[in-house]
Amino acid sequence: MLDYALKKSVQLVVTIFGVVTLVFFTLRLIPGDAASAMAGDTMSGEALELLREQMGLNEPILAQYAAYLRDLVTLDLGQTITTRLPVAEMIGKAIPVTLSIAVLTIVLTVIISIPLGTVAAYMAHKGRARLDNLLTGFAMIVDLMPSFWTALVFLLLFSLTLGWFPASGMVSLDDPAVFLSRIALPVLVLSVTQIATMARITRTSVLEILSEDYVRTARAMGWSEFRVLFRHALKNAALPIATVIGLSFGNLLNGTVIVEFIFTIPGIGNLLINGINSRDYQLVQTLIVFYALLFVTINFITDIVYRALDPRVTF
Amino acid sequence: MTYQSDVAATLLEVRDLRTEFDTRTGTVTAVDGVSFSVAKGERIAIVGESGSGKSAMAMSLLRLLAHPGRVAGGQVLLDGRDLAGLSERALNAIRGREVGTVFQDPMSSLDPVMKVSRQMVRPIMRNLGLGRDDARTEAIRWLDKVGIPDAARRIDAYPFEMSGGMRQRVMIAMALSCRPRLVIADEPTTALDVTIQAQIVAMLKDLTAEAGAAMMFITHDLGLVARFAHNVAVMYAGRIVEFGPVGAIFAAPQHPYTQSLLRTIPSVDGLRNTRLAQIPGLPPDMRRKPAGCAFRARCAVATDRCARDLPELGPRPGGLAAACWVEGGLTAAPVRPEPRRKPARIAPGKRMTVEINNLVKHFEGRSLLSKNRSVVRAVNGVNLRVRNGETLGIVGESGCGKSTLARLLLGLEQATSGEIFIEGLAQMIFQDPFSSFNPKMRIAGIIEEPLAVQRWGDRAERAARVEDLVAKVGLDPSHLDRYPSQLSGGQRQRVAVARALALNPSVVVADEPTSALDVSVRAQIINLLADLKADLGISFVFISHDLLTVRYIADRIAVMYLGEVVEYGPAEDVFDRPVHPYTRALIDAVPIPDPKLEAGRSNAPLKGDLPSPLDLPEGCAFAARCPMASDLCRTEKPVLKKHRTSQEAACHYAN
Repeated sequence: MLDYALKKSVQLVVTIFGVVTLVFFTLRLIPGDAASAMAGDTMSGEALELLREQMGLNEPILAQYAAYLRDLVTLDLGQTITTRLPVAEMIGKAIPVTLSIAVLTIVLTVIISIPLGTVAAYMAHKGRARLDNLLTGFAMIVDLMPSFWTALVFLLLFSLTLGWFPASGMVSLDDPAVFLSRIALPVLVLSVTQIATMARITRTSVLEILSEDYVRTARAMGWSEFRVLFRHALKNAALPIATVIGLSFGNLLNGTVIVEFIFTIPGIGNLLINGINSRDYQLVQTLIVFYALLFVTINFITDIVYRALDPRVTF
Repeated sequence: MTYQSDVAATLLEVRDLRTEFDTRTGTVTAVDGVSFSVAKGERIAIVGESGSGKSAMAMSLLRLLAHPGRVAGGQVLLDGRDLAGLSERALNAIRGREVGTVFQDPMSSLDPVMKVSRQMVRPIMRNLGLGRDDARTEAIRWLDKVGIPDAARRIDAYPFEMSGGMRQRVMIAMALSCRPRLVIADEPTTALDVTIQAQIVAMLKDLTAEAGAAMMFITHDLGLVARFAHNVAVMYAGRIVEFGPVGAIFAAPQHPYTQSLLRTIPSVDGLRNTRLAQIPGLPPDMRRKPAGCAFRARCAVATDRCARDLPELGPRPGGLAAACWVEGGLTAAPVRPEPRRKPARIAPGKRMTVEINNLVKHFEGRSLLSKNRSVVRAVNGVNLRVRNGETLGIVGESGCGKSTLARLLLGLEQATSGEIFIEGLAQMIFQDPFSSFNPKMRIAGIIEEPLAVQRWGDRAERAARVEDLVAKVGLDPSHLDRYPSQLSGGQRQRVAVARALALNPSVVVADEPTSALDVSVRAQIINLLADLKADLGISFVFISHDLLTVRYIADRIAVMYLGEVVEYGPAEDVFDRPVHPYTRALIDAVPIPDPKLEAGRSNAPLKGDLPSPLDLPEGCAFAARCPMASDLCRTEKPVLKKHRTSQEAACHYAN
């Protein structure tokens, strides 16, 4: 197990290094550079040249790359070009907000969709397909709704009409109750899509497992249907489900960008949108690296969990 | 009519059990009014081909049928209590506790993500009311009893860390550990090698006898039945057609179906000059069951009455009961065995069709972190020859390298070293034709494919050739427009044979061509292959674990063990006077469909599993399992050399 984790971590570092390199060079390929973006239209040619010199943009590209790597390793992320705030600090403030949304969504999704999918599978297995059909119908409808649309509908319904949740306002971790009420709607919007997908995956996996020989063995040993379903069937179905949870985290991060924007929540997603709009190279570059890091880490955790769940997985 | 066992007090009584499957195309009556009883401690065998309803019947007893199967009627009385009327909860107290179950496929019947200990200990705690530690001790005791080496440590292994034979032992330990009074074993040895099968059957017999438990053994293998059963029920199309004591069933069967089944099996004493009796046709479609007797379409003595009225079980001599309107069954109209066709044109000549010299195939596994490479020695220095028109049978347990050898012969695999010479073309027949056909291709296309690939003739010529081939393998030309899924197993295997013959090969390699087929259909295919061999003069390499079939069809036999040929010689000699102890053990392990002969045989099965081909021992590969191994065997490898005039064997103590 430790061997495996170690081997995977090496892969992790290699992947991240690749992403960093790719981001660095791709951004340098885009016409115009950070200095001209910063200078805007008004600065004179000489002043621009001076700025370039200051920012080290006249150095050979490989030297710039080396300097960039060095800064990244020492966590010297520099300042944003527009607001002149330290990038590290800005990202540091946004991370807990976005992660709270993501983690809460995952937790809510798992709590609802796994039992739902398992029960639907059980009913389908016994030839009573009503709940199963309902679930499939729900999933199909939800799949057709883009999350920005759901977000707007929820905003209209729960905030403006019913007034259950605030539509805007301060988001601060200092007051958990206020914080939760602010991120409740984003979490709900994201969860609806996630639950539909996850419940369907759970249903399919469990249904397949239910016709396995070892499930019949468990029944023949006199175990109750509940135990057969949740101990034997679900435990084996957990493998594909874990994979999907890991993969859906990617979708979720996409989703946070949209809901943070709509609900004006100062998370990573909003930071990214603002950075792009103001052509803030320094910020965007760091955020992309951060997202990549997040993705790779999630995959890493999925691999480890997968191995812990299934003793047969070797490497 | 209910057959009343007179051994002792009745444990289980089944009355008019009916099981139905509601499918889209109609209701299938899988079990159609079955009644019988089992006494305490009795061993009963339920025999039948696939689709006969034997498994559905057994699963109905404890309502273990998967949807859409359901028990539609009847009673299952265990000590007078009707299980069919019990609630699911009440039934759960019976399952595992009163009635233990062993299933067919040990590879898939244990939960793959749970340790053996977890799967065994909890039921013991629950059913015997023991504490965790005591239950664990009890589980280890059972694992030890079923022959798991180092049980105290192995109990914490996962199923995937064990061989198939070991897993089936675990299943049996699980089923017996809660001290049930009845053990239902549903084809428990079908997926296992013949030597392991012998071990498992002997063990099931001993352990149930020791515990005083009754056993219901479901199988399609009549030979196995002769080895251990007290009573036998033969099922056909959802009904019991014959029932009675094992001795009488084998000595003087009364129902035409039982009589035919027994005649289809190649005999041990090896009369090879007659054709195998075969049951024509196929079992009936259970969705549209005909009126009258379901077997009549395949029965040689059927009368008008058989088409009208359904026969009930009625008493027959020898304590038997048979469901047939014709008293005595086939004996009413004796059939003389047909002589086997003699090779017409080409006698086995001196010319060699296949020559294999020092053939070696090693598979290398590599792991990234460690430096040591693991080498699987699948084929380890094989020398064989097949003469023109000769059939070479290759036998051995799974993992002995026989299938790798076949793939090498076809060029599907590159040899590590050594040479293969084939004069002409080699073609292959696979075990499971269904998975070797493109399901979206019609039969005509499947047979034509090799011709088309080789650009043989034009379209009209190829079509004519296909019709010719279809006639040769005895397939109805109307089947040419169908898809593989619309044919039966036997018909598909005929298609496979036709395709293999398309390009006029000089040698056909058949890898377990009959093991996926039912007994009654198996004889049809064996007869077909024997006819083709005689008519066309092609050579066959016939690979199988079914020793009786190989003995029937092969001229020479090579016995393989762990990638090496340990004995080679004419079929009769190898069978009647085996030289190598492994050959002897293999032959001893084959069940003989004759209870009298079985009773007289040494039933000490070969011990242990096949060693891993990853780390072969230094000396004789068989030494670890051999009853006569000495230090010499463990250090020095015996070479294949002549013993007697015609046989070769690799053993230090062959004489």
